[in-house]
Amino acid sequence: MSVEADLPLASPRSIRWSRRRASLAETGRRIRKDRLAVIALLVLIGFVLLAIITPWITDRADFNAINTGNNPTNQPPNGDYLLGTDRYGRSVALQLMWGARVSLFVGFVATVLTIVIGVLIGLAAGFFGGWIDALLMRITDWFLVIPFLPTAIVLAAVLERSLWTVVLVIGITSWPSSARLVRSQVLSVRERLYVDRARALGAGRLHIVGRHILPNVTPLILASATLAVPISILTETTLSFLGLGDPTSISWGGMLDQAQQSSAVTAGHWWYYLPPGIAIMLVVLAFTIFGRALEEVLDPRLRAR
Amino acid sequence: MRAGFVIRKCIGAISTLAFVVVFNFFLFRIVNRDPVNSMFRGRNLKPEKLAELRRKFNLDGSKWDQFVAYLRQLLHGDLGYSLKGFRPVATVIGETLWPTVLLVGTSTFLAMIGITIGYRAGWRRGSKFDTTATSLSMLTYSMPEFWIGMVFLGLFSAKLGWFPVGGLEDPGSHATGLTKWLDQLHHMLLPATVLGLAYVGEYMIVARSAMIETLNEDYLQLARAKGMRDDEVRRRHAVPNARLPVVSLSAINFGFIFGGAIAVESIFSWPGIGQATYLAVRGPDLPMLQGLFLLISAGVILANLVADVLYGKLDPRVAGR
Amino acid sequence: MKRQSWGIALAVAAGGLIVGTTQVTTTGASSPGATVTLTVGLQQDLDTPNVTAGYLVASYELWNLQYATLTDKAANDFATIPGLAESWTASNDGLTYTYTLRDGLKWSDDQPLTAEDVAWTINTSRDQVWLNHSAVTANLTAVALDDRTVEITSAVPDPKLPTMDVYILPKHIWEEPAAGDVTTYEALDGVGSGPFTLKEWKPGQEWTMEANPNYWQGVAAIDQVVFRLYTDGGAMAAALENGEIDAAHNLPAELFVEMSKHVPSPDLRDGEQGIVTVAGEQGGFTELAMNGMAGGLGDGHPALLDIDVRHAVALAINRDELFERVALGIGTQRDTLGVSPNTEWNPEIPADQQLNYDPAKANELLDNGGYLDTDGDGVREMPDGSRSLTFRYAERSESTQAEGIRELVTGWLAEVGIATEVSVYDDTQLTDIIASGEYDMFVWGWTPFVDPDTLLSYFKCDQVTTDVANPLYNDANWCSPEYDALYAEQNQELDHARRVEIVHEMLTLFHNESTYVVLYHDAETQAYRTDRFEGWLRQPADIGPVLFSNSSPTYYNLKPLAGGTGDDSGDSSTAMTILLIAGGVAVLAAAGFVVIRSRSRRDERD
Repeated sequence: MSVEADLPLASPRSIRWSRRRASLAETGRRIRKDRLAVIALLVLIGFVLLAIITPWITDRADFNAINTGNNPTNQPPNGDYLLGTDRYGRSVALQLMWGARVSLFVGFVATVLTIVIGVLIGLAAGFFGGWIDALLMRITDWFLVIPFLPTAIVLAAVLERSLWTVVLVIGITSWPSSARLVRSQVLSVRERLYVDRARALGAGRLHIVGRHILPNVTPLILASATLAVPISILTETTLSFLGLGDPTSISWGGMLDQAQQSSAVTAGHWWYYLPPGIAIMLVVLAFTIFGRALEEVLDPRLRAR
Repeated sequence: MRAGFVIRKCIGAISTLAFVVVFNFFLFRIVNRDPVNSMFRGRNLKPEKLAELRRKFNLDGSKWDQFVAYLRQLLHGDLGYSLKGFRPVATVIGETLWPTVLLVGTSTFLAMIGITIGYRAGWRRGSKFDTTATSLSMLTYSMPEFWIGMVFLGLFSAKLGWFPVGGLEDPGSHATGLTKWLDQLHHMLLPATVLGLAYVGEYMIVARSAMIETLNEDYLQLARAKGMRDDEVRRRHAVPNARLPVVSLSAINFGFIFGGAIAVESIFSWPGIGQATYLAVRGPDLPMLQGLFLLISAGVILANLVADVLYGKLDPRVAGR
Repeated sequence: MKRQSWGIALAVAAGGLIVGTTQVTTTGASSPGATVTLTVGLQQDLDTPNVTAGYLVASYELWNLQYATLTDKAANDFATIPGLAESWTASNDGLTYTYTLRDGLKWSDDQPLTAEDVAWTINTSRDQVWLNHSAVTANLTAVALDDRTVEITSAVPDPKLPTMDVYILPKHIWEEPAAGDVTTYEALDGVGSGPFTLKEWKPGQEWTMEANPNYWQGVAAIDQVVFRLYTDGGAMAAALENGEIDAAHNLPAELFVEMSKHVPSPDLRDGEQGIVTVAGEQGGFTELAMNGMAGGLGDGHPALLDIDVRHAVALAINRDELFERVALGIGTQRDTLGVSPNTEWNPEIPADQQLNYDPAKANELLDNGGYLDTDGDGVREMPDGSRSLTFRYAERSESTQAEGIRELVTGWLAEVGIATEVSVYDDTQLTDIIASGEYDMFVWGWTPFVDPDTLLSYFKCDQVTTDVANPLYNDANWCSPEYDALYAEQNQELDHARRVEIVHEMLTLFHNESTYVVLYHDAETQAYRTDRFEGWLRQPADIGPVLFSNSSPTYYNLKPLAGGTGDDSGDSSTAMTILLIAGGVAVLAAAGFVVIRSRSRRDERD
């Protein structure tokens, strides 16, 4: 197991890498002990795989209204249509599969944007300190306090309808918490001895950030990203439901909007609004469980408990 | 010392509010849009009339002039005019305030049941109660609140007919006193339960971890060692200490519940701020949306301020810092 | 302390279930002698009761009921019939009309209604350019000759006269607000001369109108009308089915179709339960417009200047399928645009000029025009190969039918080698994009007034936008001197039959240019219950809506049915419900408390 011991001549670089590998293995081992987290991960992998292979096993054109003229409309689930059909005779199951792509895509990309903004601001604030820190943290506080969803809604209402608008809106409204997280980590890492030593050795700022600070805050960023994805997905869902998503690409939230527009609830067309909701719930639940497990493993403070 | 803390927090809140005002104004002006044209599509109005209308909606002159005019208006408590019927935005929002306070208040109260559950779950960590409560909380947390609303509406109103399908009270009802109150309660139960359910999980989880944190404190062990009853230790020592994070959560959640109310109110035709926002988005009625956003933000900022001050009061260490 | 609150809340939640079940058993009690209330569900609130400021359909219903007009419109065919004026005479040149008011007219607040009110309304609305008056009063001057006589002179020949369908306002109420900015007046006074006047408005919920005791035709048979707002159409349909409301306007199409199937028979006997659905047409239509680029603004696709390309687009679209699948067959298919709710203005397009679904012919037209797919990507290119036939397709985010139309239309266009790039806009954005000419095609619609003049005027050359800051109404940027000449002719033609002929010619011309592909004429989806009222009127007859029609004649015509229930809720049954709820809550609170208590004991033990 202990790689370092067997390689006395290893370069410092390889030692660092093998250490990282070992800690990754340790993380994996701890997570594996948490049965729920494993199930959650499996669910997630299942959804991601489904989203990836959908274009290969189905045809997007199959649920374009132009090709569904002969299908029965508003059919409950049956042998031909696993989850029934909607008002234009389009298969709900197909929409659900393709919707997974859009919902997960927005969830991931928006989270990446959130984290990138958050990390940049958090790093800058924590590393430079002084007035830059004060200013950035003031801005962060502003964004933390103003209500998240209403802000997202007015932004989306003012901008054009597209998936990128949704991504942008989520990014703009949800970066502050990761910025704070990163900043506090940077502050604590900065105080550690080796950064001082590196600085004493004349290392450049970029070097310090890239080599010493980033690797140390990465695990936490990872955990918080895992927890940010479900929030992004829920936000996309709400925006789409309010008619602020991209109506040309069907997402789970968009399906719920469609269901609402075609009065599925009152007409008793449960197959139209239950599946997307359950899919959202499963994905969000899985991400949350897995994210918390990850956080618990990666954050020493939580682990102590 | 204490006064200084409060003043500092107030300045923070005011700066946030100032930020919101600026953000709010320029957000609606980045995109150069002229709602007057679409509003009066097909009305055959002369250009002079359109110019007059633009003036009314503070859409003429340079951006800077508009901004100054906007600030001057705000100082007079004037939020401009809604595109719908030229009614003052402040008046329209005023009409929607009470139903939302009622709904959000009730659902916050319902959601706060999560605090009690959370304390109990944290106290008996790992027990069957804890596992059940935590799982259920995660479950409700994972559902979009408006989806819960759709499911409830479909089941309890459309299918079973137990509840009215929407609104604040029965049509044409001029009931007063208890009858009116019960009628509104009957209409409110479903949306309030939905909103409460959506946020009960969060309260529960935060309260639970706050409790777990206090469990490690030495004085709890001490109290126990002194032979205090378990229940008593929990109530006298643990719960008061676990209160802090819950207070700040309540303030943050206030904003979230407002957000959730937008979709839920529109599903249940609840004539509050949420439904007004939904209608303003669908219009779009930009001046209305602008006013609503400012008002909701101001409400949330105020709630945060109160929470901060309360936090300082509960935990002298914070105020001292 | 905390524990108890949990128990009680649980009990309250559970108590709700009891509320529901008892409610179901206690509805439908009758109480003779109570106020007769008609409750109408709709999906749109008033924007304002102020007639100089509002413009939503909901508000027009209010004004139609509250303000009588000099001349009325017949329910059947919009024929001009006496209203506040019992008679009128025309001068020889047709420019001046003298109206005689009925004797003893009074406002609902008992003030006399005189010629001065009429003259004041016409002149002030003209001077101040009131939104809903100025289209009619712009060229008019009114003089009150005595209390019952008013003389109205038009500056130009106007075929719309002697029809005077403007809302006459009570001068004694409006004079003061009109001295300042009249649009800011709240207008909750509820003073009017129509069959019903505004009693109360609860914004976001409902508004109530009560019968006007001074209405010139006599007081209405129903005491009040409640208009109730539902944001969710499905909720409204459910409310209609369970009797919470008597009629509904703008039902979701799916539910409307569903409801139509359930109707037992159109001729129900008295008191028999049933719901009658009405697909009411008012000339409104949905069109696919193409950019004609007459104003020189923007960057429309040059191929659209070729009439063959426009024809090919029209031929590629299967309007029958669109109508059946997207509009669900609600409404009517017509070749030309609607310029009036009155269908006499719609011409028959000769069979050889019709542009019905024929993809082969569309392909042929494009092939012959030199629009060939030279690079084999399935999309045709311009004859000079400069660019492909890829059109920007804009749709409204507000439209619930937009998605279906988009998938079908873009699919059909693809089949004839025309590609599309879809964008979705809210109405404000779309108006701006149209004004700037930065579009190729869009889907939107219009709803006309009774007189075709206004809608016809939109397609004149002088309505083409040439300055982005001052957008005009010709949203297809289309211009034809021939059309303009015909417009000018009909605008002053006082012989009705001849005017209809000219309008037919104009619409045929417009159709043949294929600037607008009229997808279908929409219909209002309405339904009413037959168990409480009779006398529902469609305006115009057979095809029009019963509610929210042009002059709303239904309400005054309605009579409560014998045996129908008066008020929606009997007081005694409500009281019983309350007691049951209170009891239920108390029992459950106690039970919940005990459960919690015992559980907490168990917790302590382990």
